[in-house]
Order: sequence, then C-alpha cells, then structure tokens
Amino acid sequence: MNTQTFPNPTPSHLADAPPEDRLAFAITEVARQFPDRAAIVAGAGGEESRTIEYGTLAAAIVKLEGALDRVRPVGIVARAKRTESLVVIAAACGRQHVPVAFLAEDSRDLIGELRDWVAIDDSLLLVANPADQRREFEAVATHVVVATSGTSGPPKLVEHSWDSLLAAARLAEQWHGLGWILVYDATRWAGIQVWLQALLTGGRLVVPASRDPDVVLRAIVAEQATVLPATPTLLRRLLTSADRTLLAGARLERITLGGEVADGLLLEQCRAAFPGAKITQVYATTELGEVFRVTDGLPGFPATWLGRSLAGGARLGMRRDGELLVQLSRDTAEVATGDLVEKRGDRFEFTGRRSDVIVVGGAKVLPRRVEELLRGIPGIADARVYGMPSAITGELVAAEVVLADPMPAGSSPESIRAAALAACRSGLEPHGVPRILDMVKKIATNPAGKVPRRQA
Amino acid sequence: MSITADATVAAIVAAIRQVLHDTGRTAVTVQPQMLLSTELGLDSLDLAQTIVLLERSLGFDPFRSPAPDSGRPSIRTVADLVGIYSQNAPISSSPGQP
Repeated sequence: MNTQTFPNPTPSHLADAPPEDRLAFAITEVARQFPDRAAIVAGAGGEESRTIEYGTLAAAIVKLEGALDRVRPVGIVARAKRTESLVVIAAACGRQHVPVAFLAEDSRDLIGELRDWVAIDDSLLLVANPADQRREFEAVATHVVVATSGTSGPPKLVEHSWDSLLAAARLAEQWHGLGWILVYDATRWAGIQVWLQALLTGGRLVVPASRDPDVVLRAIVAEQATVLPATPTLLRRLLTSADRTLLAGARLERITLGGEVADGLLLEQCRAAFPGAKITQVYATTELGEVFRVTDGLPGFPATWLGRSLAGGARLGMRRDGELLVQLSRDTAEVATGDLVEKRGDRFEFTGRRSDVIVVGGAKVLPRRVEELLRGIPGIADARVYGMPSAITGELVAAEVVLADPMPAGSSPESIRAAALAACRSGLEPHGVPRILDMVKKIATNPAGKVPRRQA
Repeated sequence: MSITADATVAAIVAAIRQVLHDTGRTAVTVQPQMLLSTELGLDSLDLAQTIVLLERSLGFDPFRSPAPDSGRPSIRTVADLVGIYSQNAPISSSPGQP
C-alpha cells in the first residue's frame, strides 16, 4: 500500500485548468511522478481484486483522446461496466471537449435521446462509422449527461456542466491521497462525485466486489480505506448486518452521509463503531445541489441556522407546515424542498419527505418516525415503513423489520413482534401503528442506495 | 356448506383473531352472526387490516375491484364478510394459497 502523503497536483494548479480538463490533468500529473501508485482497486474484498495504477490510467486516457480527436463524435455514451473505464472515458472526453453521458443500468432505454452519440464499452475502443456525424473541436465548455435515479419519478437525462460536476470536490491538502470506498453506482451522480474526488486528489478508489456488507467491510479493511461516502441506509446495513470482527478492523476516519436523513440512533451507532471518525451529513437536493453540511455528528441542524445566511450563502426558511425552504443566494427564489422539519430542543430535525407521508383515513403518518421507534426495539436491526393501498382507509401503515443477529437472549421473533407492536401502540397515534409487520432478511434499496417509500 | 366456503370462513375468523391479537385486545370466539363493530369492536382500520390479511391468505381482495353495479356492499356482520369473499372469489383462486 502506498502511504506517502501526496504533495501534488497543487490545488492552484488544478484550479488553473479548465474544469473539463481537470480530471485528465490530475491523473496525468500523479502518473508523471508516481506512475505505480494505485488509483483504483476493483473487486476489492472479493476473490480477485485488480489494482489499476495512475500510470495505466494516464496511458489509457491519452490513447482514447487520440481516437476522439480523429473521430470527433457528437457525443460519447459511456457503456462500460468497469469503474476504471468510466474514469478514462470521462477524463478523455473532458479534455477533448466531447460531451459524455453516463447511463445507469435502469436508464439504458434513454439512449434513444442521444441520437448520433457513439457508445464506448470496456474495450475503450472508439469505432468510427463513416456515416456518423463529426463535430468540430469547440473551445466552449462541454457537458456531462447523467441519468437521475428515479427516486421521484422515472429516470431522466440531466445535463450538467463540468463546473457543477466538480463544484463539491474537496481539493485542500487534507483531502489528498486518501483511500475512498465506492458503495454508490459509479454511473450515478453520487458515485461520479466519489471517483472524481478520489482521483482529483491523487487518492485510491476502492471499489468493493459487491454491496454485501461483509464484502464492503473486507474491502475497507484490506485496502485500508478511510473515507466512506454512503447513504444512511447503506451505513445502517454495514453497522447492523456485517461481521463484528470485520467491523472492528475497519479504520474509517471520515464518513459522509447524503441522499437521506440520518437519525440519532444511527449516528450514535456510527460513533460507537468508528470512534475516531468524523461524520459529515450533506444536505443536497437534485435541483439545488449541496446546500449545507452538518459536521457535529448530531441529527438535523442547529435551530439557529433558520433565517440566517449560512457559510455557503444559502438561507433556510420554514413553511408553516414544517417544510424546509432554501434560498441559495439573494438573487434566487426560495425553493420548497419537500423535506419536513420539526424543532426538537435546539435542533431542527428532519421528519420525512412531504411525498413520503402516509395518509390513513385522512390522518397523516410520517414513516420515519415509526421507523425510528421500531429500530429502537431490542432485537430489531432495521426497519422500513411504507404506505400500503387500502380500499377502506386509502392507505395503511405497513412495516418490514430485520431481526438482529443474534437476537437478544430469551427473545423470539414472536416476542419481538409483540414488543414492537406494543411500543408502537404506546408511542404513536392509533393510525400510525403498523397494521402489517413483516419480518424480512434485508430491507430492499433502490439503485441509488435509498429505501423506497411506496409499496414495491 | 362446501369445503371452499368452510376455508373462507376459517380464513376470515383467523384474520379477525389476528387483528384483535395484534392490537392488544383479548381474542374472542368469532361467530358468523356477530356484529363487526359493536360486538367485535372492529373499526375501519381493523377492517382494512383484516382485508390485507385475507388478501394474503385467500389470494384476492374483493374490495379492490368490486363487481360492477354491486354498489357499496354493506358489511355489518362476520357473515356479510364471508358472503362478499365467497361471491367474489375468482374461479381460479384456491383458498389458503396466496
């Protein structure tokens, strides 16, 4: 393993380069000085892992750039499965000012919208068809197309500038040369952010062989990865379902949570499992991008933030019904986020998405509140609460729970079920008590690593 | 009474007993002529739960796609419920197998 600290490329250098050149520039710079440094460890934690060095990546980028320059396609669709291929395609397209699209597995149908674009797979070969349109080199900024995860509607293609793609990257020296674990899909916004961040800063991107909690932890331990960006759902799965000895061997220093809200219990479990780790919660939306970060490891955000300009310039407000409002800057309009917040002590905590609210016979139920209660029951490792359609009451609260392994001494699935229902009856309004409570092996997640809120 | 009807009655009685159990009430002997609301104490939430449980055990939900011009069926007794499930059972549906 390469543990030397990483002195370059200096952030000022990197910032001097046009945004679309930066990925290729950073990789080439590291390769020039440390060609053998590991850039990507693929299949980590599995039977066969592969290490791809910066030198190899840089050579592949130059080769593909040559092909792009000869063919000058209208755009490139990255059809590769391997993360290293996606990186090479992105870097080469960026520097050659060719638009590039990343289509996740479930958005392949959208390829029809990208007429005349040329696909590149893991062979990294650009096959030029004489009939294909040729696009002259343009010095103007080019774009990157990424499919949305379809959490709120069917997946669609969204165009981003390289500037906005790189806006959240942390380039200060403290971020250089770190080991990043990639649990997100490498073709989606969140995943792209992780590999860009790792490779812009001379770091090592660790790609686990699968999302299985044990495999992810084995990858973290074997490759000494220290930074874990994840959704709270993925982190919860690591903490509750992975092998205890593996968990003890993981030396995470930074955990960045995003995409969903982390509750107090998860943050507590996270601190207990990784005592030295700095936990950052990123609040971002598809429309607004990153709005703020909470680094104190507590749920929600300080109540004093409401109505005041934050470090990034955003201003937070709240509608009467508790919906969080964000105004990114003085010149922009206030945007309703769809996230509901509630004042608890000196914090505002997230209670759920407005669209997640389950309506039972006219009464509103926030699924997150029920989930938090269920997760606090001894013997329950994880829970998902969702609305089940009903002809009588419109919807009915339904829950899936994962039992702890091992279960607490003296308890059985039946006793845990009874305890869960009793706790819900005493802690919730009658319509909030789950009427259907199923025990499942694991909570299903959608392709973005989040928990679906409607019946599957 | 046919075997199918018996199985329907058994499934309905079992579902009602589970609803009472899940909601922390004492299980009672469920008789066909009993009034769902006053005698068994079932409210609309309880009924909604019963219907989901029955969809799982009988494999269909007669309330989701009610027969045309059937209007809103009156469900006052356990027997009313049995009637609706017996009349609306899909031909292919085999009770006990969701």
